[in-house]
Amino acid sequence: MKSIRCSSALLPLGLVFLFAGSTALAQDKPQAKIQASSIQILMVHSDEVKLPIDFQLALYEYVIDQVQKSNKFQHVYRDGDTAAANATDLVILHTNVYGFKKGSEEKRQVTTVSGTTQIQVHCLFTDKAGKTVLAQDVTGKVRFIGGNLRATLDFAKKVAKIVVTNFQ
Amino acid sequence: MKISRALTVLIAAVSFSMGIGLLAAPCFAQDATASSPVSFPNTKHVLGLDGVKHDASGVLTVENGSLEFTKGKQKVVVPASSIKEVLTDKDTERTLGGTAGTLTLLVPYGGGRFLSLFRTKIDNLSLEYVDASGGVHGVIFIMAQGNAAGAKTALLSQGAKTSVPVEVEAQQQAKPKEKKQ
Repeated sequence: MKSIRCSSALLPLGLVFLFAGSTALAQDKPQAKIQASSIQILMVHSDEVKLPIDFQLALYEYVIDQVQKSNKFQHVYRDGDTAAANATDLVILHTNVYGFKKGSEEKRQVTTVSGTTQIQVHCLFTDKAGKTVLAQDVTGKVRFIGGNLRATLDFAKKVAKIVVTNFQ
Repeated sequence: MKISRALTVLIAAVSFSMGIGLLAAPCFAQDATASSPVSFPNTKHVLGLDGVKHDASGVLTVENGSLEFTKGKQKVVVPASSIKEVLTDKDTERTLGGTAGTLTLLVPYGGGRFLSLFRTKIDNLSLEYVDASGGVHGVIFIMAQGNAAGAKTALLSQGAKTSVPVEVEAQQQAKPKEKKQ
């Protein structure tokens, strides 16, 4: 009788461990990386919010900078580069800003807790034919040290991280 | 008789050429003003120019149909005709900036916070240009207050393009900010 009780208590416990183990294994399994030898980064768009031009240009330039530094691609093409048309294994990065809050460097330094600058961007990686390869929302922030444009650098670093984890 | 005729023809020719010369004089004057260099020292290159470090200070010059940024021996030239957009903006930055400014955060009793209240007014100059292969570049400069409009005017006179004329931009920036209710 005791052994039945004991086994009935152990059975659900075992099932829980089994389930947890299987999910852990599934998470550990590496995702198939996307193969691409070159990338074209298009100019940042902001259809939904009014984005100052310096932020737009800084987002674009920092993303190019950081993606180049990641060394994941043989070529990093700019928007409008005619050489990109002949590139094989090309992915195109489209970025659209859907949220922007311009904080204040002065407020950040004086109060510590307010004045955050935040940029929310939808990133879409497509192939040459326009088929979506990867889509992700990325937020760039500056909370304490640095000017407002530092939020664009934070965003670019996060994009570079996405590139490193998802591309071969 | 022949000599007098020849003399009148000669006088007429000389006066005609002199007249043309006088008419042409304003054109030469315009050319001279168009190509006269306009330079802005202590301009900070925030980002965008190839081969120049971020936040490098140098001299921005507009001359001979191009924009030049010189930092020591380094010189980057962008043809004004390739500039598709020039926009200016006003901003402020800490008077005590850089590493020293960051270190002031360690000053006890909120001294660093107090120092960050001292701010200098600056102008932003943002450019968008196209390189030889058609690639779009974005460049941002920080200049002393009141210089960006002059730089923009100089660039536009050299062949750069903009979507917002200088006068309109000045009016927009002069408008006081609406108070939040």
